[in-house]
Amino acid sequence: MDCATSDNGEAAPLAVKILVAGGFGVGKTTLVGAVSEVAPLRTEEYLTHASVGVDDLEGVSGKSTTTVALDFGRITINSEIVLYLFGTPGQERFWFMWNDLVNGAMGAVVLVDTRRLDVSFASIDFFESRGVPFVVGVNCFHGIKDRTEEEIRKALDLDPQVPLVLCDARDRTAGRDVLLALIDHLMAARSRTAPDPVS
Amino acid sequence: MKHWTERFDDDDGEEPLVRPYTITGGRTISERDDLALITLVTAISRVSPETARRLRKMQPEHRAIVGLCKRPLAVAEVASALKLPVSVTKILIGDLIDTGQLRARAPLAFAKAGGLPDMTILEAVRDGLRNL
Repeated sequence: MDCATSDNGEAAPLAVKILVAGGFGVGKTTLVGAVSEVAPLRTEEYLTHASVGVDDLEGVSGKSTTTVALDFGRITINSEIVLYLFGTPGQERFWFMWNDLVNGAMGAVVLVDTRRLDVSFASIDFFESRGVPFVVGVNCFHGIKDRTEEEIRKALDLDPQVPLVLCDARDRTAGRDVLLALIDHLMAARSRTAPDPVS
Repeated sequence: MKHWTERFDDDDGEEPLVRPYTITGGRTISERDDLALITLVTAISRVSPETARRLRKMQPEHRAIVGLCKRPLAVAEVASALKLPVSVTKILIGDLIDTGQLRARAPLAFAKAGGLPDMTILEAVRDGLRNL
């Protein structure tokens, strides 16, 4: 019919993604922007009953549509892999239903602010229940470290296996180190569950 | 090119959520369910005259997408550039795949049920991040 199949332009790289979650104002977009190679991009999606697959949206009538906006960034890992970082939208009770956002994520970073730990509880619960591996990044705004790691772990009721990293979401290196902590966590989990045949 | 909303200034401003679907011919759900936020789409550089003609008859947004995707872009990046919701963008991208103007590369499917990426991918991502 046409010569589309004979097109031999360079193949697209493989895309992978990491979610950056946590409550409102914990620094999600700041972290995404700090490590992204482009200024954070913004996109939005309509979530309706049809797209979320639930019939019990609290306070939302049958035909209503909710718009959720999210910011995301991009890191070119090499010529074959591109990593996308998605900051989850602030309207928490809606993004939890956005399957396309969650499905296929390698893992997640849950950012917490020690002054308002409670705003990140829902994200932790969510990833635990969905079996999505995550690390906790404690965003130490202006170097404030007003709680010890033990206190934070206890307050978040964190599984001992979940890494907790102190960071400054504005700092590129610190943001990168949180992502590296997640990758290390995934590699450790990977080698526990199914060792690579070729190793 | 003007953004599509600028041509509808006399529309009823109370229902902005309906507008984007005018450019999809009223379709609200993509017939394809294989497009994800990070599916990478690339314009097919050499198309037949017939395919090229078909593109000229499509919406300006379709042509804008083909123009953007000279290099591989994620569905989310296309949506962001066009300032359109992801679901609307997916419908338009689906049209372009169906008519042979774009090709798509799906992301790896894992983590749906606690799955993990291959060690080789994790190592590559780790090395890439270290070089950041």
